[in-house]
Amino acid sequence: MRWSLLAALCASTFVLSQNVNYQQDAKWKAPEDAAAKANPLANKPQLAGGGRKLFRRNCVECHGDSGQGLKKAADLQLPIVQAQSDGTLYWKITNGNPDHGMPSFSGLPELQRWQIVLYLRTLRNSETAK
Amino acid sequence: MPLISVRVRDLAPRLLAVALFLGSGVLVHSQEAPYFVTYDHHLEEPGNLEIATWSTIGVPRDGQKLFFAPFSEFEYGVTARWTAELYLEGQATSGDGAVFTGWRLENRFKPLKREHRINPILYFEYENINEATKILKEVVGNAEISGERNADLARVHAHELEAKLILSSNFHDWNVSENFIVEKNLSKSEGFEFGYALGVSRPLSKLASGEECRFCRENFNVGAELYGGLGTTNGFGFHETAHYLAPVVSWQVSDNSSIHFSPSFGLTDVSYPILLRFGYAYEIRGFGSKVARWFGGKQ
Repeated sequence: MRWSLLAALCASTFVLSQNVNYQQDAKWKAPEDAAAKANPLANKPQLAGGGRKLFRRNCVECHGDSGQGLKKAADLQLPIVQAQSDGTLYWKITNGNPDHGMPSFSGLPELQRWQIVLYLRTLRNSETAK
Repeated sequence: MPLISVRVRDLAPRLLAVALFLGSGVLVHSQEAPYFVTYDHHLEEPGNLEIATWSTIGVPRDGQKLFFAPFSEFEYGVTARWTAELYLEGQATSGDGAVFTGWRLENRFKPLKREHRINPILYFEYENINEATKILKEVVGNAEISGERNADLARVHAHELEAKLILSSNFHDWNVSENFIVEKNLSKSEGFEFGYALGVSRPLSKLASGEECRFCRENFNVGAELYGGLGTTNGFGFHETAHYLAPVVSWQVSDNSSIHFSPSFGLTDVSYPILLRFGYAYEIRGFGSKVARWFGGKQ
């Protein structure tokens, strides 16, 4: 009983900590050619570990440890985010959305930005698992 | 001898405390450019505070004196398009005294929302310094290597305004940055001073390894910068100006701290032969929201 109560508490805390009310900025759209770009690392899933490290260094402050979203930042596990193409996510990481507080991460090498995209896709899997 | 030993013993814990304080910063934005003088277009992330301590050691020519000019930097990301910085600086010269040389307040603005081939940044700085300053955060105008004592130089105050046009581009993994500098000393009826800084850098590795490692290639950024003065409105050009060529390297020690090093080599007779520069920077992430919480804010 105690354990199930604890599990329920943990689950509710996790759900409540998610930024499920996140609304996309309609003006923040990747150009078509950028959105159509394929991830050059797509067939190297083993590189997602490096993406996780980069995510921890650069993203968790706003997006949370598991990408659940904090403050105004997106919940990266949500289908509305995961449905976006790799190219779109890469473009958003590269350009940022400065008027909404998202900085540009163009200072990271190109392949490292693609590694972050690779890692973001693993968050989709954790969402599916839930 | 015993007296000296006691003094050293007394001083050691204090020096250790100062060292720990300076080293107690937090984290630095990953892949921060390794430049000391050149600025690129990457601003501090909003809400983050970077605390850094930098030093310039000037190796003298015959007849000059070795100097050590440390400065502290507090860099805050006000928004994703605006970064503000406060500098406190000092200077010590061999065989002379040590003096506080003033403070500087700097702001950088990103006028464009998106990344472009060439990304401009507008830079404005107010300097409340004295003539003993030697941090050489930038080089402008004509070279002036003074032989006066620090105590005399520190009495001469200068209120200066400085503006820079920063142009910066990322080509694949390379960063190329160009800075054009104009400075006006409001305390003297002299013209405008001009200078430049150019930098190129890249990380040693394009990919990040999945392992936690301090010495991975991806943690190192290397490059070179070239900077110097371009005279004044009274005489624009290279005559009697100092110029330096400097290899630069930075090492991301941890998720939020980095070490920087650069030996600069003087290219003209009026340049210092060698400037040794080193620095340590630590970034406190979410500093703005933490402070807001202390005061009951929502962030």
